[in-house]
This record gives sequence, C-alpha cells and structure tokens, in this order.
Amino acid sequence: MTPTGLEPARMNRKKGDKGFESPRPYKLTHQVVCINNINFQRKSVVGFVELTIFPTVANLNRIKLNSKQCRIYRVRINDLEAAFIYNDPTLEVCHNESKQRNLNYFSNAYAAAVSAVDPDAGNGELCIKVPSELWKHVDELKVLKIHINFSLDQPKGGLHFVVPSVEGSMAERGAHVFSCGYQNSTRFWFPCVDSYSELCTWKLEFTVDAAMVAVSNGDLVETVYTHDMRKKTFHYMLTIPTAASNISLAIGPFEILVDPYMHEVTHFCLPQLLPLLKHTTSYLHEVFEFYEEILTCRYPYSCFKTVFIDEAYVEVAAYASMSIFSTNLLHSAMIIDETPLTRRCLAQSLAQQFFGCFISRMSWSDEWVLKGISGYIYGLWMKKTFGVNEYRHWIKEELDKIVAYELKTGGVLLHPIFGGGKEKDNPASHLHFSIKHPHTLSWEYYTMFQCKAHLVMRLIENRISMEFMLQVFNKLLSLASTASSQKFQSHMWSQMLVSTSGFLKSISNVSGKDIQPLIKQWVDQSGVVKFYGSFAFNRKRNVLELEIKQDYTSPGTQKYVGPLKVTVQELDGSFNHTLQIEENSLKHDIPCHSKSRRNKKKKIPLMNGEEVDMDLSAMDADSPLLWIRIDPDMSVLRKVEFEQADFMWQYQLRYERDVVAQHESILALEKFPTPASRLALTDILEQEQCFYRVRMVACFCLAKIANSMVSTWTGPPAMKSLFTRMFCCKTCPNIVKTNNFMSFQSYFLQKTMPVAMALLRDVHNLCPKEVLTFILDLIKYNDNRKNKFSDNYYRAEMIDALANSVTPAVSVNNEVRTLDNLNPDVRLILEEITRFLNMEKLLPSYRHTITVSCLRAIRVLQKNGHVPSDPTLFKSYAEYGHFVDIRIAALEAVVDYTKVDRSYEELQWLLSMIQNDPVPYVRHKILNMLTKNPPFTKNMESPLCNEALVDQLWKLMNSGTSHDWRLRCGAVDLYFTLFGLSRPSCLPLPELGLVLNLKEKKAVLNPTIIPEAMAGSQEPAINPSIHAQLLGFQNPFSSSQDEEEIDMDTVHDSQAFISHHLNMLERPSTPGLSKFRPASSRSALIAQHSPGCDGTPATKSPWGIEFARKGAGTDMAFFDLEGKEQAPLEMSLHPAAAPLLAFPKESASAKHGEHHHHHHHEHKKKKKKHKHKHKHKHKHDSKDKDKEPFTFPSPASGRSARSPSLSD
Amino acid sequence: MADTMATAGAGSSGTRSGGKQSTNPADNYHLARRRTLQVVVSSLLTEAGFESAEKASVETLTEMLQSYISEIGRSAKSYCEHTARTQPTLSDIVVTLVEMGFNVDTLPAYAKRSQRMVITAPPVTNQPVTPKALTAGQNRPHPPHIPSHFPEFPDPHTYIKTPTYREPVSDYQVLREKAASQRRDVERALTRFMAKTGETQSLFTDDVSTFPLIAARPFTIPYLTALLPSELEMQQMEETDSSEQDEQTDTENLPLHITDDSGAEKENTSALQQNASLSGSRNGEENVIDNPYLRPVKKPKIRRKKPHCGA
Repeated sequence: MTPTGLEPARMNRKKGDKGFESPRPYKLTHQVVCINNINFQRKSVVGFVELTIFPTVANLNRIKLNSKQCRIYRVRINDLEAAFIYNDPTLEVCHNESKQRNLNYFSNAYAAAVSAVDPDAGNGELCIKVPSELWKHVDELKVLKIHINFSLDQPKGGLHFVVPSVEGSMAERGAHVFSCGYQNSTRFWFPCVDSYSELCTWKLEFTVDAAMVAVSNGDLVETVYTHDMRKKTFHYMLTIPTAASNISLAIGPFEILVDPYMHEVTHFCLPQLLPLLKHTTSYLHEVFEFYEEILTCRYPYSCFKTVFIDEAYVEVAAYASMSIFSTNLLHSAMIIDETPLTRRCLAQSLAQQFFGCFISRMSWSDEWVLKGISGYIYGLWMKKTFGVNEYRHWIKEELDKIVAYELKTGGVLLHPIFGGGKEKDNPASHLHFSIKHPHTLSWEYYTMFQCKAHLVMRLIENRISMEFMLQVFNKLLSLASTASSQKFQSHMWSQMLVSTSGFLKSISNVSGKDIQPLIKQWVDQSGVVKFYGSFAFNRKRNVLELEIKQDYTSPGTQKYVGPLKVTVQELDGSFNHTLQIEENSLKHDIPCHSKSRRNKKKKIPLMNGEEVDMDLSAMDADSPLLWIRIDPDMSVLRKVEFEQADFMWQYQLRYERDVVAQHESILALEKFPTPASRLALTDILEQEQCFYRVRMVACFCLAKIANSMVSTWTGPPAMKSLFTRMFCCKTCPNIVKTNNFMSFQSYFLQKTMPVAMALLRDVHNLCPKEVLTFILDLIKYNDNRKNKFSDNYYRAEMIDALANSVTPAVSVNNEVRTLDNLNPDVRLILEEITRFLNMEKLLPSYRHTITVSCLRAIRVLQKNGHVPSDPTLFKSYAEYGHFVDIRIAALEAVVDYTKVDRSYEELQWLLSMIQNDPVPYVRHKILNMLTKNPPFTKNMESPLCNEALVDQLWKLMNSGTSHDWRLRCGAVDLYFTLFGLSRPSCLPLPELGLVLNLKEKKAVLNPTIIPEAMAGSQEPAINPSIHAQLLGFQNPFSSSQDEEEIDMDTVHDSQAFISHHLNMLERPSTPGLSKFRPASSRSALIAQHSPGCDGTPATKSPWGIEFARKGAGTDMAFFDLEGKEQAPLEMSLHPAAAPLLAFPKESASAKHGEHHHHHHHEHKKKKKKHKHKHKHKHKHDSKDKDKEPFTFPSPASGRSARSPSLSD
Repeated sequence: MADTMATAGAGSSGTRSGGKQSTNPADNYHLARRRTLQVVVSSLLTEAGFESAEKASVETLTEMLQSYISEIGRSAKSYCEHTARTQPTLSDIVVTLVEMGFNVDTLPAYAKRSQRMVITAPPVTNQPVTPKALTAGQNRPHPPHIPSHFPEFPDPHTYIKTPTYREPVSDYQVLREKAASQRRDVERALTRFMAKTGETQSLFTDDVSTFPLIAARPFTIPYLTALLPSELEMQQMEETDSSEQDEQTDTENLPLHITDDSGAEKENTSALQQNASLSGSRNGEENVIDNPYLRPVKKPKIRRKKPHCGA
C-alpha cells in the first residue's frame, strides 16, 4: 500500500539486470552543503544546500526531497523563488484524538507514513514546485539547481550536541557535535535525497570556531579563516559519488593525530585523550593491509578519518571515508579486555567502508548483501587476527544467537520482496512491525538481520569456495571504482550500487555454480532448521543407524532438504559422511569402518591427522563409535539436538579438536552429572592447550554438575584446588600470587573461575562458606603493583563472584530488613562492596567497571532480601553526568526494581527519562531493558497496566519519538511486550463504533453506544448510502485488523466487555465522549499540531469518504470499500472534491492565503494517487477480502501542509 | 684568627639554643670575649670623640662588630676550603675583605695611626672543654699502612654490628598478609574519612553509618575519569614502560595550552594557531607528513568571501 507518488514497483529487483532504475523522476549529480553557523550555546545550525539535478521526465513540475526537523526559509531553483510544502506524516503517526490503541493499526499506519516519505518510493517530506518559468527548461531535461536555505534549532535527532556545563569557551569545555542516526538519517540535518541509491559528488563547507575542527567526508581541500579571524571554514570535496545517507559530520576541539603508518589516515579525539588515541589506533594499519590484500583492491577513498566522540549513538558508525566511534572505545596499553573489542570495532567500520559506504545499495531489500559482505570479510579478519578457534567460536555464537531469535520471534527475512504495494503480502506478518523499511524495524531484529546476513555469506563461501567469493567482491569493487571515476554523464554511477540480483549474477559468473537453492532457502525465506538426532549401532551389520528428524512447524523454522555432513569418530579414525536430507527419509544407515576390537593397544587417529592414546574403558564394548557430530562445519543455519551417551560427549570433549565440538559437548554434559563428567571437565580446565573460552565455559558447567551431585561430591569445592594450583603461591596456598596478566589465556581463566565457583551450592542450597572465604581472600590478597596491566576487570569479576554467592535471605515473616538482622556472610560481602564502591570515587577504574559490578551486586542483595529494596541509590547513579556504563547498570537495576516491586513511580521515572534524557543511547537502552525485563506482559494482571500508561506509551511511539527511528521502534517493541498486538486489555471498551462482522460483511451497532454519539457533527455530510460501510472500522475491539486475532482474544476481551458494560450502566455519561467531542469541533479553528485533521467542517465534501474523521471520540480511521463498489463511486466524486482537497485548513487559517499553486498541484497529484491506489487495492482485496477489508491510505496524503512556506 | 671567629659564631648560636642562665665553661668564654669586644667598641668610640654612650647603642655596635668579624671568618674559611686547604692564609683574608667591599690598602695606614689605643689582651680564660665522649671499648690501633697522623678509629660501638638471630620478617606469607591488611586499613580509613566528611548514601534506612557510601556525584565530563588511567596507574606505567612517558608529558602540556588561552578570544585563536603550526612543523621536520589537517590555515581572500557568506 503505497498510495502516494510514483510506482514503487520500479524498485523491484528484477530490473536489476538492466541496471538501476531510479524511483525518482530526476537524477542528482552534485550537492553542496554549507553550514556557515554552528551555535553550541543554542544548539543551532544555519546553512544552505544546493542540489544539482537533471530531470529524467519531461513534465517534472515538483521535486520531492527529504528533510526532517529543518526549518526551511527559502527555496530557489535556478535563482527563481520556488514554492514548497513541508509535510512529514511520521511526526505523528496516528491522529491526536484517535483512541485506537492497537499496535497492528499503529504499525500499518507507521509503515504507511514512512512509505509516504520514502525516497526509494520517490517520496519526500519536502515537495518543491518548479516555477512555471522553468517548465520549458525542464521539458528540455536541462539542469536545475535547487538552493535551499535552512536552519536547525535544538535538533532532537540526526545531529547530537554534547556541551558539558563547565566554565570556559566551547572549545575548552570539550563541546562537540556530530551526526548520528540509524540507516538513512541525513535528512535530519540537511535537506537531501536521503536514499542509499542516489549518488552524487559533494562539496561540503563548515564554518566553525577557530579552536574547533570540522571533520567530514572526502578530502579537506583547504581551511580558510573568516574575515574576523575568529572562525575558519573547512572545505571538503568528495569526488566519489556518494549517497546522502553516507554523509557525516563531527565538529569539536579535537586533538589531531596523523597515523604514523599511513599519513592519509587521520585520527581525532577529544582533548586530553591523545595518548589513548595513539595507543588505540596504533593497530589500524594492519586492518587496512588485511582488507586491501584479501580484496586485492586499494581502499577506495583517498583518505580516512576516525573520530572518537562522547555520547555516541552507536559504538561504530561508518560513513564515506570517515568513521565515528564512541570515545569509550579508547583505552591505554594497560587494559586487556577492551583491546580486542575496540579492534573489532575498528575492523568492522573499515569493512563497512568498502561495502556500505563505497558500494551502496539499490534498495532496502538489498541491504543484506552489504551487511553480509562487510560482516563476512570482518569475519575473515577475525580469523586471521584472533585465530581459527576464536573465529569458529564466534560463528557458533552468532549462529546460536540467530537461531534463538528466529525461534523466538518467527524468523528473519534477509531479502524481502514486496509485490506492488500489497501490505498483506507482508512476508513478516508474524512480527509486530513492518520489515518493508529500515525505519520500522525493531533494533534487535536489525542486529539479528546483520548477523544472519554474514552467516549466509559464509554459507555461500562454503558452496563456492573462498577464492571465488573474494573474486566476486573484487569484481564488485573494481566495477564500482571504475564507475566512480567516471563523469556523471556516463550513467555509470549505478554500478556502485549493489543489488541482490547483481550480486547473485556475479557469483554465478565467477564460480559457474548455481547457488539458487541456497539463496532460496536462506535469503528469500525466513526461518532456521531444527534437527533432532539420535542413533543406534547395529552390531550385526556394523552399521550406524542415524535418525534425523526435523521440526518445521514451530514458528521460525523451515524444512531443510539437501546435503548434511555427519562426522563419525570411530576407533579407526574419523570419517565424514554426507547424507541427503529428503522429505521422508528420517533414517540413514552409515557403514562403520572399524570393528569393535579395542584390545589392541593402538593410537586412535583424529580428524586432523593427530593420533592419540585414549582410555577406552568407558566406552560400550560392542560399539566402535567414539562420538558423532551432525553438521560439524555449521553449513546450515540450524539448531541440533543430538542424543548420544555421556561417555561419548566426554570423549568428544577430551579429544575432538574443534572448539565448537568441545563447546557443544560441555553443554551436553550438564545433563550428565557424574564423576566421569567431572573428571573430563577438570582435565579440560587444566589443559593449557585448550582454547580459553572452552575452559571458561567448562568452569560454569563444572559448577552446575557439582551442584547436581552435591550429595555425593567428595573433596574440596569444585575448581578450588585447581585454582590454588594455578594461581596461588606454592608455599601458602591460601594466598593468590601477585597479579601477572602476561598470559591472557590464564588471565581470563583466573577471572572466570571464582565467578563460576561462587555458583556452587551446598545441600542447604547455600554457597559453601569455604568458597566465600576463598573469594574474600582473593580480594584481600589481590596485589597489582607489579603488574603491567590494570586489574580493574579482574576486581570487577571478583565482585560479580561475591554477588553470585548470594542466596535468598531466610526471612522470618516478612520482617523489615535492617542492619541488625544482617547475615554475617552478607555483612562481609557488603563490607567489600562498600569499600570498592568508595574507592572508586577516589581512584576510579577504567570505564568504572568496578562501580558497575558493585551496583549489580547491590541489586542482587536487595533482590535476595538482605538489604531493603530501594531504588534511590540507583537513581542517583543513573543521572546524566555519570559514565554511561554506570548509568546503564543503574538503570538496569531500576528496571528490575520496577518489575519486582511493581512500582508505578519508578516506571514513570523511567518513562520520563526515555523522553528527556540528553543521551540518545541511554534512552534507547532504557526502552530496550524494559522490553527485555518488562514490568508486566500481555497476559499478566498488573496494577501498573492502566489506561494512563497505555496513553503515555502510545504518545511516545506515536509522536514523542519521531526524531529517532531507533527509539520509536524501541517504543513499539515495548508496547508490544506490554500489551501485545491488539487493543490493550486494560483499556475500557471504545464507546463508539459498530461491530463489524468481517466475515458476513454486516455491521452491527455496538450495543454500548449511546445514540447521541452517533450524531457526530461529521455524519450529515456523508452520503447515507455508504453510511453503513463508513462506520465499519471504528471499533478496534471487534473489527481490528485480523480476524484470527479476534478469535484469539475473544475470551479475554469479552470479559472486559461485560465488565465495562456494567460500568457504563452505572455512569451517567461516558467521560470519554464528553472529553473528545469538543476537541473535534475545535480542531477546525485551530491550526494545531495535528497535520492530519482533514475532516473539518470546512471540507464537508464527498472527499470525506476517504478521509473523514469519524465520530467524535473515535479513531481516525481510513477504510477502503470493497474495490468493486468503491472505485466508480470515488471517481465520480473527485471533481467535486477537487477544490477543497489540498488545504482543508485553508479557510481556517487565513495566513496561508498564498497557496493557490499548491492547490492546483495537490489536486492533480492526489487524483493520480487515487487511481493508483485503487488499482492496488483492487488486486489485493480480491485476494485478502476476508482478512483485511480496509487499508490505510498514507497519512501523508491526508495531511495539510504546515511548512513555513512564505514563497510565491 | 678567622678560624676562632667562625667557631665562636657557631658557638654562640649553640648557646642560644642551649639556654641563657647556664654557666658552663663555654659560656664563660663567650661572655669574656664579648666583654673584650665591648671594650674595643668603647675605645673606638672614645677615639672618635664620644664621651659617653648609651648601653643599648654600645650593644648594637658590639653586635655589628661581632657580625662583621664573624663574616670575615666564615668567608675566609670558605675561600680556604675552596682551594682545598684547612688553614686560612693571609690572601684568603684579603680576598674576603675585598669581597666585602673593604679597601685593604687603607688598612696598614689605619693600623699605624697615632691615636690608637692599645687594649690589653683579654684574660686567658680556660678554653671551652669539649665534653669527653663516652668511650666504649678500646679503639682499634691503626693498621700499619695508615700513617699515624691520621685520626684514630672511632669508638667501636659506632661500627660494630651486633647480629641478632631473631626470625626476620621476610616470610612471604606474613609479608603478603601485612601488605594486604595495611592496604585494606588505609583504604578503609580513607573511605570512611571521605564518607564522614562528605555526603553519603546508605543501603539501610535504620543505620546510615555502618556501610556509608560516598554519594554519587555526576561529572561534567564523565568520560575523562573513566578512560584516563589514574595517577597511580600512570606511575606504574612509567615504571614499566618509559617510552610511554613521553606521550604523557605531551598530554600534560596540552590542557595547559588550552588553559593559557582562556583570555581574550583573539589570543585564543592565535595561540591555538601557533600550537597547530608548531605541531605541524615538528612533524614536518621528522618525516614530511603532508596531511591536510596539519597544513596552516589560509588567510581569507576577499574574492572567496562572497559565495560563502553571501547567503
């Protein structure tokens, strides 16, 4: 449903073969962005842009651009004043007065609103009319220069100002500003075509205070003082065609560091951090070398800049020739834990420079290719830098993550195909948001999307070999770099855009292999595979009978058909078998190579050629099988649940050399708490050669096993003697050695073991005293004086260990927690926490890791009833001005408190923080944490769930978060978690509307309706013959979008219905009605913020059929009549409606008197639009008649202009 | 003569600290000498034609004379020691006098003046006896290779070591224990002090003093404390790696630059510009880096101006 503008169908990838077809009726060649004033005090920006475009159609008379929150003063085209309209339907998705509170409705309306301004559908918020003097000029397809003067005042998104409130000039205060956002967010800070598919060259100019530096894309050509010498202007040229969405800016009093290895690379950081910057970036050149080598392609831009800023939106943001990082990634040489993480961030951003910035995408549905390739080459870098073990471990982690997410939510679709605007073809109907646009996606979904994309790239690599894979990338890059050096006239620039079909074609050209089945399975389709495996050994036939079942009916799963590798380790060696998984074959016979003759003392060959001695006494005498692995290379996106005997898992853990296999066997061993498992795990822990992450996992598994066998456990607590042997002094085993973290493997193990040990429980389910003393001793004797590295992470983990040791307090009939009845063990713990937390104030640790752990530990103590539950402390740490990690930890505690104590006050506090906090990341994070740990969920009774909260959240996602896509989607996620898709159960029934039985197409008056309500002021204007249909959609209770949903919620809702009904009888009149009726009649007179109130009395026209705001107090609802009936009717109505269509508010707001032009054009446009829409609806209605009897036209089309248009 | 003066000076300061009413031999000696000086002053005054003088003024002049003579002695001693001698010679005295602005040539004439008065030598009072040091044990005789005029060996107790065979505190466990508890005590005392003197938060409502938490105070620039190594860690880093040190001094300078510039805005710009150009040139000398961010900022051109600010 894209009723506005040009055909979105043009975006269809089938056209990809013939090159890119722009959805816009013009082509952008060059854009100038000039920001000549930046005021940090007022947080404002003044500037202009100039776009050079070539019309591609003769009758181009209006040009749509993207612009959000900019105030536009003046638009000129070729020096002629041009009229313009500014209309942004995403500002307020659903209408103010609407009482509809159903998420389905919102998601549809939101998707429609985003579509209505989507540049990839040829739309935009800013519509500029080409002056009639230029029409002839346009008809000759001659160049147009659009000059737009704009300003930004206190931007809420897109540009983020950080202005610390200290004494001094802005430069001394470290004030800075940078562009930020998620996907195409450039429209937030200057008018542009905010699409990844519209490339042009750039000239960027920024005039800033002389003490500041402006960093932007492309080459810094020169820096010139202004006349008063107080400011300087940075002139940037970006000659490589680049999408507006890849343009960025950072201004601040940065310290400049030219990379000592590559002089064309420059690093920037905030004052005083230069030594950290030097250390952090000292590694970057190796990443460069790596990528250039594997891609056999030079870094495409002539320079590269890294900027480290505070209050970052995301840790890493890649833009053309520049990346913006969070300043919190900087670290000194003493920090171990942060180093690999930061390096990964650097490498990630650099991979995106090639794929994402230099090579852009044709449409949103091609995003997976870019994310996939950049993620994939980043993976190759990981393999080279951190080793194969780390790489495989990472792949497994990512695989587990995506599998878990897909099974939870019902699937991630990499390449959504949208047929001509049929919303209900929505391939992701299981989700509570539309996946048609990046801006409607839940953030979590998007991260998972990226994760799946690179995993799928890896699958493609498995199929066609890495060599071919890299050749494909090289081909894409070299095509793009040839194109980038061409002039605009050559029409080559679209070569820099990647599309799914183009990419697949490249693959088939290079490799000659058909990967279509693979693509169909993982790219065009969502879901993962779920295998259940079990086996039996047939001694007679010497055959392994393997049974592999699949679950493809649960949500998020799909059926897998194709090859599957199975590795069997036998006495005589390791053998790979490729099974064909087919529809009906569950059983697979695999012949075994060895007879079970293990009397002979013989070494057993492993997969990697190694030959080892094994103690075979544990195994089944009749079977030669040591262990079996299904899909060992992770070449299917799957979850495997495989059954084999405990000794087989133990053999696998001890002798299989693949870290993934070891990891899997550890997890499997949790179910086998036996001395043999214990031994196997202890052996692994001690083995120096074993991958440290495996050993870390083994720690936790060992703790679980020890707890399961607590009654039979002998000897000291698990891991204690091991830790003593490894890390304590030889002479005095209770004292830990002075810290020496030179060996990182043992460092990580040393950190983890106490944390795992603290999870041990004795028969009373308490942490053994011995363990607690041990941990307290570790803390006491911790001595870092001789260490080259900081021990802040180690100490933080010790506090985590203390927190892990806490068990619920024995409470005597709910007494109040006081100091006197404090458990002596807890007193010791509290003593340590107090001291650590206080020492942090005097000697803060890196990233305040210790404070973070202390706060978490305090929350654990509160939760377990040792300390009175109280959010005050956390709230003080959550304030703006604390380090972000501390704030997040504190907020997490408050979120948890809100849930456990069901505190309305704290929930309100959190919600106000979501709306008011200066740091976008924190706001996003609060929503995220509330979604993860919700105070209540859909089907839960909670005192917190009330109408006010629904309204508040609704307002938040409807209009409160319009400046930040990510935040809005976060609010939608939260709303979904709390209330589900349908109308929240805590709401009273809507007072007005009809119960429309969708199946029988019959409208029944809602029995609760009071007759007067029907006589809403709008009604008389509407043709009675269509009256019945008109009322159809008002009642979200009974006529919400999905039939199925109603069925689902019937029971629940009917209860609410009855109770409400009873309430209604007691009340003289419904407050809802009296409240809302006056509002609606007033709306005609007030040119208020709701841009969508068409249904004012002044426009009582037949047009109202489409847009009428229905009865007072009910929802603004749009409906679609059955296609057959509606089409002729509406067509006939158009002429009459025409003069009144465009600016219904005009009569009310006299100041808009200059709008004749718009009128005319609006009208033309709309007519076109409607024809168009009918076409779509027709199609779709015939298909989904029952399911979805009405769609929502774009709110955009129903909105009047509210631009400060002064022209004409 | 200068020698005695010097010792006298030193001695007088010693007596002052010793106490006034003491009447030990050293004190007597000094009193006698001061009396002589007073006679000298009086006679000089008489010579100058005074008939009487107030006691206070005589005392003042005496004090001045004594200081003058002491200074000659002290200074002469320095000169002689400077030339590696122990006994001052005449030339030392002469140089001293010259240094003090005294015309030495007039001295013989003055000494031979007719009306000078001769003062009798002060009565030889008994030299102050240095109290005999307590001798303990027999001083060792010189070994044959040391000439006999060298001073005697000091008393044995000054160098003889008396080994005690008690268990030294080198046991690792005890040391670690000590270090740990010491650090813990210091930390606890410090944090308690901070908590007592500042605002606190508490986890308990009934008792705010047992586990006092220093109140959380937001920073204006939180990332600085979070990211920069603390001073303690900086020290450690300096110890472990000296190459890092250079960078640190660099940073210490940088904020200084900024604070220096806090004056007028014009100064601000010029200073920063200097700063930038300095760092640019420094790098340039090393290995000619052509980075656009290091290039000097251009002066505005009138012609260029229009397209930018015209809008």
